[in-house]
Amino acid sequence: MLWLQLRGRTAGTDPAPSHFVFQGSSAALATRSPSPAMPPLANAGRAPGPPDGGWGWAVVCGAFVSIGFAYAFPKGLAIFFKEIQDFFGTSYSEVAWVSSIMLATTYGAGPISSILVNRYGSRPVVIFGGLLCGIGMVSAAFCTSILQLYICVGFITGFGLALNLQPSVIIIGKYFLKRRPIANGLAMAGSPVMLCTLAPLNQFLFDNFGWRGSFLILGAILLHCCVAGALFRPIGAATTPVKPQVTGKGKDALKEEVTEDAMEMGSPTKVPMEDKVEEEGGKACCEKINQYLDFSLFKHRGFLIYLIGNVLMFLGFFAPIVFLAPYAKHIGIDEYSAAFLLSILAIVDMIARPTTGIIANSKWVRPQIQYFFSFSIAFNGTCHLLCPLASGYMGLVIYAIFFGLAFGMVCAMLFETLMDLVGAARFTSAVGLVTIAECCTILLGPPIGGTLIDTFGDYKYMFIKCGAVMVLAGAFLFIMNYYNYRMLAKEEKERKAKEENPKPVRTENEGRNSWNKETTRDGPELEPLSKEQEGLKEEVNGINEV
Amino acid sequence: MPAAFSGKRPGLRLRLLLLLCLSLSGGSPADPTVTTQDASHSQANSLTKMQTGLNVSSPEPMTTTRTVNRQTQGSPSDHLTFGHNVSVPGPDLTTQEFKQETKEHVSNATFVEYEILLPGVSGTSTEKNITLDRATRIELSCRLDNKHSHLKSLQVTWKWGNETLRHINKTENSWGIQLRIWDNSQLGSYSCTLKGEEEISAVFHLQVPKIEGKEKPIVSYEGDTAVMICKSFGYTPTAWTWYMTNGSEQVAINDSLLADKYVINRVSANVTHLKILKLTKEDDGIYWCEAGFELGKSKGKLKLKVLSLMVPLKPFLAIVAEVIVLVTVVFLYEMYSKKKEKCAADEKEFDQIEQLKSEESNGLENSSTRHRKI
Repeated sequence: MLWLQLRGRTAGTDPAPSHFVFQGSSAALATRSPSPAMPPLANAGRAPGPPDGGWGWAVVCGAFVSIGFAYAFPKGLAIFFKEIQDFFGTSYSEVAWVSSIMLATTYGAGPISSILVNRYGSRPVVIFGGLLCGIGMVSAAFCTSILQLYICVGFITGFGLALNLQPSVIIIGKYFLKRRPIANGLAMAGSPVMLCTLAPLNQFLFDNFGWRGSFLILGAILLHCCVAGALFRPIGAATTPVKPQVTGKGKDALKEEVTEDAMEMGSPTKVPMEDKVEEEGGKACCEKINQYLDFSLFKHRGFLIYLIGNVLMFLGFFAPIVFLAPYAKHIGIDEYSAAFLLSILAIVDMIARPTTGIIANSKWVRPQIQYFFSFSIAFNGTCHLLCPLASGYMGLVIYAIFFGLAFGMVCAMLFETLMDLVGAARFTSAVGLVTIAECCTILLGPPIGGTLIDTFGDYKYMFIKCGAVMVLAGAFLFIMNYYNYRMLAKEEKERKAKEENPKPVRTENEGRNSWNKETTRDGPELEPLSKEQEGLKEEVNGINEV
Repeated sequence: MPAAFSGKRPGLRLRLLLLLCLSLSGGSPADPTVTTQDASHSQANSLTKMQTGLNVSSPEPMTTTRTVNRQTQGSPSDHLTFGHNVSVPGPDLTTQEFKQETKEHVSNATFVEYEILLPGVSGTSTEKNITLDRATRIELSCRLDNKHSHLKSLQVTWKWGNETLRHINKTENSWGIQLRIWDNSQLGSYSCTLKGEEEISAVFHLQVPKIEGKEKPIVSYEGDTAVMICKSFGYTPTAWTWYMTNGSEQVAINDSLLADKYVINRVSANVTHLKILKLTKEDDGIYWCEAGFELGKSKGKLKLKVLSLMVPLKPFLAIVAEVIVLVTVVFLYEMYSKKKEKCAADEKEFDQIEQLKSEESNGLENSSTRHRKI
């Protein structure tokens, strides 16, 4: 009877080998245990959904380190540039290219990172990335020309950092659902913390070992990314067959959140992008590519909104930080106080990120997290618009505090909102596509600001430009997300109506999947979340009461 | 740079030239002063509180004409015979009247003026550092501010080291000296003292431009190259020389002699590079870069530290070892926890199998009973 029950639920026509059959009949029962831990026998059934705790916090620590290095390391290198410039006899801009190449590679290699994570999972990619960083910096210690520095520090280390950044962000989505904003906020806090640590550390290393010795030791320090990678335990077994499709909206919501490795009875439908190649046999070519990098995301409304809004935002995001110290010196503040402004910014940033995570996780904000995100972008823009009004050191200190706050808020929710829109399953590809699009504007932002400053001889135009761009981006996101929420609510209603009529299992795979994915998101996810739990409970009960 | 001034009278210039030639041929070059005489001299009495000094760095055309005495011969002590009240020139002096704006032709001297407003900040002696890199005609003056200008019977003394100099009364409340500096020996500290009820003084330090070296040592490695840079700010030296310290003495570095070891490069007018190739432990030590100006030389200090490759290698290996240990610990812990869960899962399976079996047997009985019932 057990089997009959199960069959009834899994009435899918997918040629999926029923993964319920692992080890004899007992397996069926064993799958029912909703243990939060992830036994690799995870075939033996596991929690319906990410654990939201337990080993997840260790993963957050690892992501903290990984993300911290990825964002802070290029900035921390600036301390060595003067010496390197003197040593090789180049101009400052030539040396600054090192940092730019590194940043460009970190963002530009996003899609490659996503593809690798799709194929191999987060852990091997991060470990490999850490090794690559280490090798890059160690070989940079023996460089004899600036070109070799471009390659070793810029490309190799940059690529290694890219392989660190994406998987860390991805794996948080796999380990957390209900507490995901907090986890994201904590992990993103790694960036300012690492920056505050790396800056004095780099100075100390440089004073004692010169730039070559420092690069050697920094290479060893970057190997800690491998430790972070070791903490990224894969959730469940790596290769999993398809989950049969099920009706019931609870399960639909689930499939967004649960990772590809989740195997539940009657839970997630196929996720189109992972390594389910075997099950899906006979795929068309572009579908195959879609598995590695889901280009069908470009049809996803939420994704497009996020992409356009963010690309616009990054035009004005980093320039103020780059020019804050020069602006302070320009209006007559001495060098150390100007540097202190940046420290204030970093400290406020450090506190703001986890706090934003906690706020974003609250039940009032989480369903409307997109609005919160657009509000923080607009807030950031307003700070920049008001900056030219700041006079004197105190004015700039106040500006730095608010800027740090706004910066932290935006960064903490940067990836959370993307996960919210596309769901954890497609997040892997989404993050890769987003970072490569952002790469261009991130690199363009400071030079455009610099050109404005040089042309007008006044910093205020740069601040006005950044502020205006960000307010525009915030407004755009706000309006478009309002529209998106309404459309989603509408589609939700339609789907409910359809499900009133009992339907046989979905027959199409991809199409249905994508439709489902679009309709289920984390905005109103808390409801489906509770529903899915009920649904599962039913299943569990239904079986156990045998 | 001392500000340039506008030369005005070619005729005067010629006369000055003549004077200069005479003085140079005749007198000792140690006399820095061209003393001017007072037209009138009003004395102020007591001086009270201090105020900040005032720097006039761009020359203003002098509004008053004065007579200029130039001491052509004799020791500086000759000047001492003339108090600040004397208006009669000394016997060997040729008096020349000229305006202050004229240009000194021979060494392309510029003209600058510096003034200190007295009293300065309370409790301190007011000082001013004046940087000169080439022959200059300079006027230093001390001025009493308006609040104290009513003070009478002030005795004003200008001194250079221990010598008293003759000064002029520029206005009621300011006194100054005019100097022509063309030699290193003429630099130093010039002070004016106003004695009334209290004594207030101001000091002008005339010096060559300072060169900054690097306070922190430059760290490099054996076999590597080190580049040391010296910069002069604002003033262009005529020559740069590098010295290395050998024991307690400084040895000049000759880059043409040791071309494969040292390379001296004057990158721009104000910047010099010393590149040391193929470093060894012996290259460790202190280096000096010396900038030569018309009026003297100035040195900057740099330290070079040469380390062996083993030095950073030790922390590197320590950190790598630590990383390996951490990774191993993480993986071992994971294997351990997996084993535990496997055991737990196996036990659970076992229990459930038992349960299932018993239930099945019950069920079968029930069904059979049902059948029987039916």
